[in-house]
Amino acid sequence: MPKIRYANMCHWKSIPYKKIDNFRQFYYEDNTNIAYYSDWDNILKYQSALGFDGIEIAPWDLADILPLFGSPENFTAFAKERGVEVIGMFHGAHASHAADHFDEAVRAGREAVDTIVRFGGTYMNTCPTQNYFGTGPLSREEVQQCAKVMNEIGRYATDHGVKLGLHNEFFCAINLPNHRELIESTDPRLVHYCIDTAQISILGEDLLTFYNDYHDRISTFHLKDTASANQPDSVRYAQDPEITDDGTRWFWEPGQGDLDFKGLYRLLKQHAFKGWMSIEYDGSPDMLASMAMTRYYLDNELRPIYD
Amino acid sequence: MNAEAIAISLDLINRHHQEPNRNRYESRYFWEELYSLVSTAGFSAIEMPYEPVWQFGGRSGVPFNRYCVNTKYGTAADFRAVLSASGVDRVIGITFDPNLFMRNGNLDFYFGASGHFANEALSHAADMGADYFAISPSPFYGRIAQYHPDLEGKTEAFTERTLALLGGLATKAQELGVTLVLRNEYWSLFGGMRILPLIDALPRTVKLDLDTASLFVAGVDASDFLKARIERIGSVHLTDTNFVDTHDVWKSPNPEYPRDHATQVFRDPGTGSVDFAAITALLGMLDYQGPIICSARQTRDPFRALLRTRALLNTFTT
Repeated sequence: MPKIRYANMCHWKSIPYKKIDNFRQFYYEDNTNIAYYSDWDNILKYQSALGFDGIEIAPWDLADILPLFGSPENFTAFAKERGVEVIGMFHGAHASHAADHFDEAVRAGREAVDTIVRFGGTYMNTCPTQNYFGTGPLSREEVQQCAKVMNEIGRYATDHGVKLGLHNEFFCAINLPNHRELIESTDPRLVHYCIDTAQISILGEDLLTFYNDYHDRISTFHLKDTASANQPDSVRYAQDPEITDDGTRWFWEPGQGDLDFKGLYRLLKQHAFKGWMSIEYDGSPDMLASMAMTRYYLDNELRPIYD
Repeated sequence: MNAEAIAISLDLINRHHQEPNRNRYESRYFWEELYSLVSTAGFSAIEMPYEPVWQFGGRSGVPFNRYCVNTKYGTAADFRAVLSASGVDRVIGITFDPNLFMRNGNLDFYFGASGHFANEALSHAADMGADYFAISPSPFYGRIAQYHPDLEGKTEAFTERTLALLGGLATKAQELGVTLVLRNEYWSLFGGMRILPLIDALPRTVKLDLDTASLFVAGVDASDFLKARIERIGSVHLTDTNFVDTHDVWKSPNPEYPRDHATQVFRDPGTGSVDFAAITALLGMLDYQGPIICSARQTRDPFRALLRTRALLNTFTT
């Protein structure tokens, strides 16, 4: 049994069909490859064929998935028939730093946990609050408020068999000056951490040092590469930096950037990490190609170090 | 009929569904090159959808709402200057549909959010110098039914609240000098001929859109629709389709993607079954002087669609 199982964070844009029964006919309507990216049947089969046995969905997928499948349980069963299980869902804890937003932030977090449970998932990777621009810098009290919300949602998640993992983006109000302060202000029994390898590196953390320091808090990973580590405040605190004007990519498939993934895998082995690891392809123009490229890299470069 | 005056809708760019290379659509560089390609294809006027979704989460590369325009360009006037420098002289109209806000069983949320953003979109239309603001007065029928299974019993109340929202927009539109236009997409609670009670209950300043493909799918003859109410038509969308709705797809939650039989509902203009020669001849005969917009919604290739559309329009003038 492998120590690490691999999933994909769902970055497919809206998939309009459940299953296309008239595939050839649909293809011939305009002879383009759109037919290959239009139904969950094939998307899940691509994942399964490439050895990604899990999928982590995003809350913005729900508006399309639920009408298409009728319920979270139906989607889970459909995915399972194709060899894929739903491991969890991302969650954005909007304005959790604001004391007057406590009830709403906790309510939304609990609802997300309930949704994950219905999908059969066990991970809720959670961005602790919104973008830095327009919000930061946070005061010490606001960071503590954020921790209070995470603890409260984390308690509910734990009680329902879900692991809340803090997930930081490089452009959020929780940023380099208060990133570790937030982690250390939360209850380790209730609040875990999902390392997004590229995001924390762009933020200014050293990936290997960070994992070493917090290995006992790590619930899972979002594995992706970057060639843009240690960005300055002027970039991280700018308005809407995630999608660049000129098409510059922050994120790359593992092995296509500069991060020391072999070093990370040696540490995973040292700390005997066990669990799911989601690969992320945000920014990729071709997610199927990215998946295949990643599978080759995992099998030939990383899994020989630790599997 | 002057084919040179016909606008193209930027709804030909697929913003929401998966396809290879679609990530580029979220960056500013893509759009700024597109404007010059639109112009090169012979279009000096465009229609732009208004989509609040692009202002959530700090991604503002898609120029389809006021926040994104202001973030990237400062003001609507500055954005219009960029368009003009690319050969796009006019934003002829702004469109808005409320599907994003039909996401739970709370109608107060739906009407509150739809009203807020529709008002913002209307103000944006004025800032952009648009002639009209075309609103879809309901989300997908099937999406409403997903969250309100008792929709049939709620239709009267839903219609009353819709009328109140539209009435407010009508007053504001008149103040701003923008024509409020109602769309009657085949998938709407007010699709096809179901729009008529709604338009009859609103001031005469509120106009109707004529969308050739939507009427085709709804089983309504576009020429008859046009002849019967030419004085109320405020915009004409030249759209194409081959789709015949024999299984009440219009009532399904995702009606532009028929669930039992995958097909491209909207085809590039000129590649489907709509009789454009007849409808454009009728527009000329009736001396229709309002906006005409081509739309290649759901195209598989936006750049080919631009040229296909221009090729079609060229046949009107030769």
